[in-house]
Amino acid sequence: MAENQGLLADGWRRLGLNKRYIVWFYLLNLLIAGFGTAAFNHQAGAILDHSIYSEKLLRGFDIGVLVEMIARPEFGPTDASATSALHFALFFLLATALFLPGVFQGYASTYRLPREDFFRACGRNLWRFIRLLIVAAIVFAIVAGALFGIRMPLLKKAAESTNELLPFYVSLASLCVIFLVMTTLRIWFDLAEADVVLSDQRAVRRSIGKGFRHMWRNLGTLLGAYVLATIVAAIILGGGILVWMKFVPAASVVGAVIVSQFTLLLLLIPRFWQRGVAVSYYLRNMVEPITVQSFTPGPVGLVAVPVVSEPISPKAVPDAPTGLQDA
Amino acid sequence: MKMMRWIIVFLPVVTATLITVAVREHAAAAPQATSAPVAGPAANAGAAMTGGAMVMMGGPLAIPNTTTAINSATPMSQRIVHYEIDAHYNATTHTVDANEILTYHNLTGQALDHFPFHLYQNAFQPNSTFVREAKVAGNRDTGYDKWEGKEYGSEEIKSLEVVGQGDLTAQLQYVAPDDGNKDDKTVADLHLLKPIAAGQLVQFKIVFQTKFPETQARSGWKHDFVLGGQWFPKVGVWWHGAWNCHQYHAMTEFFADFGVYDVKLTVPQYEIVGASGLRIGEASNSDNTKTYTYHADDIHDFAWTASPRYKVKESVYQAQMGPVQMRILMQPAHWSQVDRHEKILRESLEQFESRYGPYPYKTITLVDPEDAAAGGMEYPTFITGDTSWFMPEGLYEPEVVIEHEFGHQYWYGMVATNEFEDAWMDEGINSYTEVKVLDAILGKSTSIMNEAGATLGEREEQRLGYISAANLDPIAQKAYEYYSYNSYGGITYGKTASVLLTLEGIIGEDTMAKAMQVYFMKYRFTHPTKEDFLKTIEEVSGRNLRWYFDQAIYGSPVMDYKVLKIDSFPVNWYEKTAGSGKDDKNTVYRSYVWLQRKDSFVMPVDVEIKFDNGEKVRERWDGASRWTKFIYEKKAKVESAEIDPDHTIQIDRDNFDNSYTQEENKKPVHKVENYWLFITQWVGQALAWWAV
Repeated sequence: MAENQGLLADGWRRLGLNKRYIVWFYLLNLLIAGFGTAAFNHQAGAILDHSIYSEKLLRGFDIGVLVEMIARPEFGPTDASATSALHFALFFLLATALFLPGVFQGYASTYRLPREDFFRACGRNLWRFIRLLIVAAIVFAIVAGALFGIRMPLLKKAAESTNELLPFYVSLASLCVIFLVMTTLRIWFDLAEADVVLSDQRAVRRSIGKGFRHMWRNLGTLLGAYVLATIVAAIILGGGILVWMKFVPAASVVGAVIVSQFTLLLLLIPRFWQRGVAVSYYLRNMVEPITVQSFTPGPVGLVAVPVVSEPISPKAVPDAPTGLQDA
Repeated sequence: MKMMRWIIVFLPVVTATLITVAVREHAAAAPQATSAPVAGPAANAGAAMTGGAMVMMGGPLAIPNTTTAINSATPMSQRIVHYEIDAHYNATTHTVDANEILTYHNLTGQALDHFPFHLYQNAFQPNSTFVREAKVAGNRDTGYDKWEGKEYGSEEIKSLEVVGQGDLTAQLQYVAPDDGNKDDKTVADLHLLKPIAAGQLVQFKIVFQTKFPETQARSGWKHDFVLGGQWFPKVGVWWHGAWNCHQYHAMTEFFADFGVYDVKLTVPQYEIVGASGLRIGEASNSDNTKTYTYHADDIHDFAWTASPRYKVKESVYQAQMGPVQMRILMQPAHWSQVDRHEKILRESLEQFESRYGPYPYKTITLVDPEDAAAGGMEYPTFITGDTSWFMPEGLYEPEVVIEHEFGHQYWYGMVATNEFEDAWMDEGINSYTEVKVLDAILGKSTSIMNEAGATLGEREEQRLGYISAANLDPIAQKAYEYYSYNSYGGITYGKTASVLLTLEGIIGEDTMAKAMQVYFMKYRFTHPTKEDFLKTIEEVSGRNLRWYFDQAIYGSPVMDYKVLKIDSFPVNWYEKTAGSGKDDKNTVYRSYVWLQRKDSFVMPVDVEIKFDNGEKVRERWDGASRWTKFIYEKKAKVESAEIDPDHTIQIDRDNFDNSYTQEENKKPVHKVENYWLFITQWVGQALAWWAV
């Protein structure tokens, strides 16, 4: 438990030292989603902007008016809005993959990583991250497919019961299991990502293997930390929506925008916290020693030094990992 | 902590195992059904009934004039039929073996040489018209993508004797009057050896077996639950000089004559039973079964249900004609909602009695079924609701369904229209009264949902149903001739309700309310036609409404009006100072308002034009031409124009373009946009959370 707390605290510290990444990713998220919703806004604006009827939307959340707007042939196919929004959501995923190496680099640094170093890390690891993304997608798809494949007959069997609640409980329990397994996979690949960036590992397969070994050895600690962060995310999302619904007046568009956007900003924190935990774990447990010969006079000896990615900045000195002595 | 990884590995396995065991245990815990004995020969069905129900068995033929099950000293309908059924339900095979004695009073005014019978349960067979249509046009419960054995249902007449003419089983022939489908067995026609003269009675003694499918179309079994609807051979209706006995279609319901029902229902001992009519007897049998006896007056169908797990609440409602026993059969998981069910049933009774007329029956049974496929159905004095274990207080699905099904006690139960040919007259009129009643009970814009700030009203929902299929079919159309199930639902329910709500705006809400009351009182316990209904409205309102009915009921034109454009410019626009703002108050503007009728439905509409000095002008446009314009010269510019400013028109396909404001108002779109933006951002974050 203490180990768990140490990781969480250290991950939180790294997150706190690099708050700007949260803001950047939030702005990226907002910008991309803004493009994604442009089609919807255009379609809706053409219908609502000059209509007295549209004012009904300001008197609460009138589902009928909203559905009527979407059902209007002039609105166009809903697929047009939904597909474009989904594509931009995917674009945010790719943008995250692009900029994440810089985040890992920043989290491992004891100083404020210069912007050029951030982007250099991004560029250096782009292709590695794409490969990681592909491998992760395959692993996730296989495992999720298998788990959902098992879930299906269980739900079907549960539905045969006369206990109406049983299918719900089965669904809930199976989703919890799937969540834990998927989180485990996420830990594995987060460690691999940290290793790729911080060890400047070109052979992605080695990082994947290393990530798996460490995930397996310390699963309890890591999973506890990740689950806790996910719970925090759920609280943020639930709390934000609750505040939005309960405390923002129906006619207050500004209030709704502030609450919803603040919720989304906060919602990024838990995932970056998890990445902070991954970096923290990496620096404590995954840094590999290398052997170098000492040219200083005296008996020739072996000195262990950590290998982290090359600090680009002259003043850059990697954080001294606390677990170094054990390595 | 190192144990944790093993926990993670074994957790899915252990959970899956536990769930499997739990499922099996639950399945095993369900009461084991005992085999019910197969019914004896038809002669056994002649046992005399108990209680106040006087049944003429073996004596001279007559339809009983009993009033045991109604709060009236005299019969309320012209009774054509008397069904005496002795049925044994086998909960293992989901079959009913029964003897039926049907006494039919020939009041057609002519001799009858053949009688058609509905055998509805034969609809649940792969080549039936019902299944074929459901595969093509859609269906509420199943699309029949693949056929499963449990979907099979049947209704087989083992023998049929006509008293005085002997066994005529061989005379029975399956017929398909609607589509000629030789594989459809939902109607069987019986040719008699001797015609039945006008005014005479005839008695049929039928031995039949019904096998229920797993719940479909609000009939059948699910686990240990069964809903016995449309389960016995039922004679057609002589209507407008011919037999009216349609096949069972994917989109049709039913039609039958009023009469008296005496039903004995033998079920396994452990079953809890509910049924149409009044329970007048209950006896345990030596073979671990129980026999319940029911009697019903002035109804045209009989349904029942059984389940060992029902929890029952009974209470009494003091109706205008006497006490009504309310019996609610709930699923155990829904027991916490029993008060909600009782409350809406009581409020519906109150509303219908005060608006349309008295509820004369002594009972109303509300069933909360095991399966949604059995939910939301009406039978005389017997309805099914629809809920689930998770039902927040602000989601009014149970209330809406119960009110709707109770409404059918009036529009179908008592005003017994032909549901095959005029589905709008039961479903549509009922949807209209549903709007009125639920508005009164739950609020005008919150009668479907009022939860977490989100609202939806009943009239809006009906309208949404209509606009989803606005131009496909007319209202006045046989139910089985609609383009699709969606069109049937949208037009029959949604358009009818919207058309009648719009009619309120034409003749006045009070006049419409009066017309509905007159229609109910005049046509209860009869089979009115669409013209009976429409003429009643014309008579009560004192207006010729053909122009409206021809378009809205008989035709399929769509109403869609639009404020095409508004514009203002100074009269002296050519002068340099015109409209410069220096002397705005004295500037005279010429303002134009253009209106357009976008579609073919023609209807006079009011228009309200607002000027920027606060002045409002009301105009009326007959809508005869495709467009019109109004021109004003005022010391003010036009600010907005709105068609139907009192919002009485429910059938305009597009409400948004019924108004136009000169000044753009971005607040609504920003509000909607914010929801969409939030969802898009969140989806992006969620994808990034798991993928990278």
